[in-house]
Amino acid sequence: MVAKRRAARPPETYLPLPPATFHILLALADEELHGYAIMKDVAARSDGTVRLGPGTLYGSLKRLLAEGLVAEGGERADPDRGDERRRYYRLTPLGLSVVRAEARRLAAMVRAARRKKLIGVRPA
Amino acid sequence: MSAERIYRLLLHAYPPEFRAEYGREMVLLFRDQCRESDVRTVGFWAAVIRDIARSAPALRVEAWRARRSENTRTVEVIMKLAAILTLLVGVFGIVNTMIEWTAGGTGSIEHSLALGLSVCAGALLLAAGVAIFLRPSERGRQAGRLALLASLVLIVAARLLHPWMSVLSQLVGIGLPIALLIALYWPRKHSTLGAAG
Repeated sequence: MVAKRRAARPPETYLPLPPATFHILLALADEELHGYAIMKDVAARSDGTVRLGPGTLYGSLKRLLAEGLVAEGGERADPDRGDERRRYYRLTPLGLSVVRAEARRLAAMVRAARRKKLIGVRPA
Repeated sequence: MSAERIYRLLLHAYPPEFRAEYGREMVLLFRDQCRESDVRTVGFWAAVIRDIARSAPALRVEAWRARRSENTRTVEVIMKLAAILTLLVGVFGIVNTMIEWTAGGTGSIEHSLALGLSVCAGALLLAAGVAIFLRPSERGRQAGRLALLASLVLIVAARLLHPWMSVLSQLVGIGLPIALLIALYWPRKHSTLGAAG
């Protein structure tokens, strides 16, 4: 019953997303990842300007799991690191809708800034 | 003391439930960070402290809100049990008064009036129980309060008219509505959990 109520909530009601949350959802858009892989992805994509610590990352993941935007994808060892088993996280269909809605919102803001010539105009 | 042991100590800034759920993952992630950074630098530990200072208070507040929400749910369960008790006492009060009425035959006017008032008080208790049980909203509670108050007034009037009322009847007839009124007027707070994003 709770899941139905969550699914009925339009993605726009979750907006605007905090920057850390948007980055986490963006990292999970392609594939399911464990905590450290999310952290590395965010740092790489933002050229090191956004650095998520363990507390910020898992605090955000806890909220995203509670809201049904992210789901746990099981526990397994990372084949690249080959060490201890790690918990993987994946985006839910609702999470995908929300991150798309946030991307559209940000794109609209960028377009508005372009129209005002606050940032570079699109090359012809 | 190793960096990991220090970090494990610092994790106590987080709520116990959060530590139990994510503590192991956080330590693993910290271990990864230690492999790629120089743990002897001030900058590394400043970042660790900044991360904890940013995230732990919010998670503590969320955990406190979740506990408060759980307490609210417990109060709701207690109220439902009290409503069932009120229903039973209301039915028992009416039946008991009717039996006394039929067994006593024709008594004085005061006695008959006291019994009539007791029946009404029992019916009001019944109504209060139904209102609280079926409509746990603010309107339901308000209707329950009014019914309990009216029941209390009637039972006191019945007691004044019929001083030989049993101690048990007085305790139930007066004590139960007072206890329920206190419970219904007790300040209630609503959960704000779920606003996080």
